[in-house]
Amino acid sequence: MNETTDLAEMTRRVAQREELLGRLRKILIEHLQLRREVDELDPDAPLFGSGFGLDSLDAVELVVCLETEFGLRVNDPTVLRQSFRSLNTMIDLVISHPVPA
Amino acid sequence: MSVERELHALRTATCVTPGDHVACVKLVGAGAADLLERVSPRALFVRTGKMSHTLFLDEAARPLADVYLCCDEDDFFLLAEGMTAAEIITYLRPHAADLDVTFDDLTESHAVLSLGGPYAWELLGELTTPDVIGLPYLGFFHAEAFTCFRGGKTGEYGYDLLVERTRLAAVRAQLADIGARFDLVESTLATQDVAQLEAFFWNARRQSPVGLTPIELQLQWRVNYGRAFPGAAALAERRTTAHQRAVLLASATTLEPGATLRAGDRTIGTVLDAAFSPTRGDWVGMGMVDRAFAHSSLDLASGAAVVHTLSAPSINNRSLHVDPQRHCFATRATDVFPPLVRG
Repeated sequence: MNETTDLAEMTRRVAQREELLGRLRKILIEHLQLRREVDELDPDAPLFGSGFGLDSLDAVELVVCLETEFGLRVNDPTVLRQSFRSLNTMIDLVISHPVPA
Repeated sequence: MSVERELHALRTATCVTPGDHVACVKLVGAGAADLLERVSPRALFVRTGKMSHTLFLDEAARPLADVYLCCDEDDFFLLAEGMTAAEIITYLRPHAADLDVTFDDLTESHAVLSLGGPYAWELLGELTTPDVIGLPYLGFFHAEAFTCFRGGKTGEYGYDLLVERTRLAAVRAQLADIGARFDLVESTLATQDVAQLEAFFWNARRQSPVGLTPIELQLQWRVNYGRAFPGAAALAERRTTAHQRAVLLASATTLEPGATLRAGDRTIGTVLDAAFSPTRGDWVGMGMVDRAFAHSSLDLASGAAVVHTLSAPSINNRSLHVDPQRHCFATRATDVFPPLVRG
């Protein structure tokens, strides 16, 4: 692959991740009532504990949102623990589980 | 002892690190909470036995210290990295002129031992009481021989033990005695720094150059905009002008702090900090890159090397999967956990 196609592929990935980041930030603010502005929600910040302070009830809500917003049903607690660490890990989860059209 | 062996202990068993780099100050008096409200970018959690994880900023909003504020009745313990105890007192004193508060520098009288690892809770339970299992993250309690603060910056269970120096030898001997059953290894600060990089946990001693603020460093979760604190005005202004963001890097080739990062033929940032990760078998680092490219799963370049951007953390922390109600050190070989490094 040459540098032009590298950059084009990178641009595509950035656009995809930006779009998902926006949707997930909206979920945190609108569904989980996180009292933060969109730009305050850094993609690698911890969602639970000392970070945004989400709790186990929020985790359940996030599971529901993944299904309603992305058609993604994840039952494996190990996968969920790893994927609910930050917005970035949630984006990874969504991207790695494409929903058939 | 090698960094590799020390990191392996931290990631799979237990590890203790002398906390000489941790500054400890006690604020005494009814004005302690008011003073901290004036300087903390984050709202305080004022309840005895609870800790708030915050920052101290300069007037340009550069983070100077990574700080735990620990409420102990009217008083507060401050555990900080990035500033000495004397520097913290100098930083706080101008904000305390009208308040009933005194500063107690604990550097001479106390030492910190940092206990970490997926089974640190179990070792600590034998050292103190099994009830330690119930100590929540960002909680602390006074044991007979020390005060124990639960925090951690490596992604593993982490406890800072604040010990009077007169009792330090006895506590260390007890730790070594009990720790032998938990494969306890003593590690250096250098190992802790690698572990923090693997976890993409901001390191106040290494990752705070002039010009950066919590916005670029992805530390806005420790800021409540609208509060008054040192650096608030500069931070509010930066909110509209920030053009870079920290990203986690990994590369099979040596990453050098200061090296340029490129996307195609465009220069988009630099490596801020880096170290070899024995856990992963490659180099990990923190890059500061233009926001348009501050995303994971990209392949950047540094010189001739390919540099991948990752979602933090760069490893699967075993502590995320070790449940004190179901697991213990004795059964670790037969318990099933995800691999430390993702495929």
